[in-house]
Amino acid sequence: MDAESVVHHCIEFGRSIGATYVEARLERRVARGLAFRNGELISGGRSPTEGIGVRLLVDGNAGFASFDRMSRELAEEAVRAAFKMAKNAHRRDPIDLGEPVSNRASWSMDVKTSLSKIDLDTMIDTAKELNAQLNGLAQYTVMINPTITDKYLVTSEGTEVRGHLEHLFIHLLLTAKGEHGSEQSFIDRTLAGGWERIREERLMERTKDDAIRLQRAADDATAVKDLLDRPVDVIVGPQIAGIIAHENVGHPSEGDRIMGREGAQAGESFWRDIRIGETRIGSEAVTVLEDPTVPNTSGFYLYDDEGVRARRRVLIKNGVANEPLLNREFGTRFGMGSNGAARASGYDREPIVRMANTFFEPGDYSFEELVEDIKLGVYMRTFQEWNIDDRRYQSKYTGSEAYLVKDGELTETLVRQPVLETTSVGLLSAADAVSREFKLDFAGTCGKGDPMQGVPVFAGGGHIRFRGIRLGGVG
Amino acid sequence: MDNHDDIRSLVGFAVDYARDKVDGIIVRGAVRRNSQIRFSSNSIDVAKRWEELNIEMFIITDGAKTAHVELSATTTDQVKEMVDDTIEFLRRMPESMFFAGVEERILDHKTPKDVRDPKIEDFAEIAPEIVNAAVDAALEEGAKRVAGALKFGSEWYYQLSSYGPEGETESTAYDFNVRAFQEELDYSGQGLSAGTVPSRAESEMVKAGAKAGRLSKQAIGAVQGEPGVYDLVLSPTVAANVLGFVPQSANPFLVLIGMSPLADRMGQQIGPEGVTVWDDPLFPGGLASRGFDFEGTPSKRTTIVENGVLRSFIHNTSTARMYETESTGSSNLLSIGQGLKLLLPTPSNIVFSNGDHTLDELLESDRRTIYVTSNWYTRYQNYQTGDFSTIPRDVTLLIERGEMRPIKNIRISDNVMRMFANIDAVGNDRVQVYWWEVETPTFVPSMRVRDCRITAATQ
Repeated sequence: MDAESVVHHCIEFGRSIGATYVEARLERRVARGLAFRNGELISGGRSPTEGIGVRLLVDGNAGFASFDRMSRELAEEAVRAAFKMAKNAHRRDPIDLGEPVSNRASWSMDVKTSLSKIDLDTMIDTAKELNAQLNGLAQYTVMINPTITDKYLVTSEGTEVRGHLEHLFIHLLLTAKGEHGSEQSFIDRTLAGGWERIREERLMERTKDDAIRLQRAADDATAVKDLLDRPVDVIVGPQIAGIIAHENVGHPSEGDRIMGREGAQAGESFWRDIRIGETRIGSEAVTVLEDPTVPNTSGFYLYDDEGVRARRRVLIKNGVANEPLLNREFGTRFGMGSNGAARASGYDREPIVRMANTFFEPGDYSFEELVEDIKLGVYMRTFQEWNIDDRRYQSKYTGSEAYLVKDGELTETLVRQPVLETTSVGLLSAADAVSREFKLDFAGTCGKGDPMQGVPVFAGGGHIRFRGIRLGGVG
Repeated sequence: MDNHDDIRSLVGFAVDYARDKVDGIIVRGAVRRNSQIRFSSNSIDVAKRWEELNIEMFIITDGAKTAHVELSATTTDQVKEMVDDTIEFLRRMPESMFFAGVEERILDHKTPKDVRDPKIEDFAEIAPEIVNAAVDAALEEGAKRVAGALKFGSEWYYQLSSYGPEGETESTAYDFNVRAFQEELDYSGQGLSAGTVPSRAESEMVKAGAKAGRLSKQAIGAVQGEPGVYDLVLSPTVAANVLGFVPQSANPFLVLIGMSPLADRMGQQIGPEGVTVWDDPLFPGGLASRGFDFEGTPSKRTTIVENGVLRSFIHNTSTARMYETESTGSSNLLSIGQGLKLLLPTPSNIVFSNGDHTLDELLESDRRTIYVTSNWYTRYQNYQTGDFSTIPRDVTLLIERGEMRPIKNIRISDNVMRMFANIDAVGNDRVQVYWWEVETPTFVPSMRVRDCRITAATQ
């Protein structure tokens, strides 16, 4: 039996034994990988995977099962197991997916030269060129993993959606030694699309720039005591804007967290205790968007893993919490319907509420205008260490490359590891200006769920100015 | 095809087919069956089941060219294709600087105890009842909302190396994580239970629910914690995540890529005399217990830290030859990105020596002390220096002037090597910890650590 026939058999068999809803998702993924240490290739490999995940409902109880060989018998065994487990769940409140969804579509990431066309020699040569940009650092590890994913989703409501994704996952672990110690940077330079993205995104030039800047931070960054004595103004670059959009805004806006479904793992959300559409959680300058439909982004999709058409979501509008991220189950519970946020990291994971690409909407300022009326402050261009509590309320971002701003001028004085340790509302309320300049290319793997589901995302924004921040690192 | 005889045949076929074409090949065929029940708001959200058959190969050609490939293969044609494609792949690869050989001897190995639950097949039937009993136990202790996950399953694998070693093993596992809340978001408590024999752990899981409920009640009234320097008492859950980083860094691969603070610390006193830590793949009931590693080298206990002195790294054959020592039987295929695994030393069970203090004794102090029951989101600024921060979550208690009261919204922002050196008392409550934030099974008791730096949001 071919794989697509097995998908359809899952639907038919699930319905025949009494499931009220059945969804089967076939995923084929071909991943290749090369790893280098200090410029030397240390190993390579490839992993073709194929499997089907089946999710079903029985009287409002959910079951999920996956299998990795395309056999009718295994499919029936999996569906039967999911059915039995769902039946035993005895939920107090039945799951309701809302209005039926029956989309038929086929979508693909924009690709000019498919990663499947790139032979190993080209991969090795390109990876060597990438390594060469890092020459001079004390230690550098490079991992490059071209990965192609094809999805085929069918549901008992009539949905039939095909999707095609290509990611060139690139991870750099960098260490620069300076006179007074080392600085490390772990950079995700993942590109979304075909092989042409390497040139379009100037991967080589940007990697060289990463290395030069890290070395400079290791050599020259110093503690600037004045910055700790009083509240100062802070400008963050697009990378830090991106992580703030993702951690302080995107995660707390996830409907399943707000309703407690991630309580024991990724946590809950401070959005539970606000009024969506009314409560101000940032200044007027803050508008944060979520959009899976931006071409050539890591979080790209046009239909989510429940078959719902993707669209842009406005999470915060001019400082006011505006819209949560929702899948079908939580769209129903919020009374708003799904806004296409269901993603699964692989065939063996259930689709749950996820971000895709999260970013601050551009503002009206040039970078120079942001700087010109700052008496004393810091420009944090990049960060290294970060974390945020599981309600997504208190976050910490420790600067990697940061510069002193004094009397309206950006100085060349590198500030050693300034700490932005605030609450989400405290931070977003202190934003008073966002630049016109905008980047949506900060790549990452977002973790959530149990078992863990890592999904590729992008984040970004412009330069953002925060007024009157007391830097952390004291106590 | 998940008949064990069929998989043994397929693995044997792969080695025979490749033998004359390559320098060496190690093949492992595994069958994994796992289930999970996830719950929140006192109710089961979803029940899941995974079925996986995995054929994994590590192939060596031209002396030191290496590659890994894996597939859910069931036929000899698929196996031939895997071997042939990988050989073709290796033609273009240079020699690996991380390869210096694999195990070539056939040695006897011991079988770890208590790693298989004979009643695993029946456990799925009673698992929902256990989850509901744990939820009820939390509610009876005063919790208002309960969330968590119970995962359980089995793994069988057979492996064969063209150099001779051969082995087969079967194990079972479970991990239960339960978190209880009051109505407020930040009044919460956690209970964990993890091990290899779920059918004997029902009462442990219900106790974990009760503990989570009890702790959530202790969090009521928590006030903002103040930044400063405190002694910390770390529960086993927190000690496993924070202090467990140090023995897990005793890995030559991490040293070579700049991700370990132990590069030049061998033989040095890095902790107090009362602290000894092993990597122990033979520890009874350990979730990572195994009789042999991927190369077929027999498992053995390795003393990483002995009375506070760094004594050894873990090794596979290759790193042992690089470091002119013996393999510790720690070879495994480690995933480093999609589609790529390397044959590297990896830890099994990390085991800390048990101490002799009760928890009450650890908490009795005339110094400002914070009891941290759980933590999450640990991130490092620099793995070589050990500068990091992590966030206490669930009930966190301040002990000051003989009184204990709940606090919240703090962060441990410190250096892990300094904290390891500042362990000043070890509890007698060693348990196995394995959950979201602790991926290497770690047997560890509560620990008291002097003079730790606590920070908090400035606005």
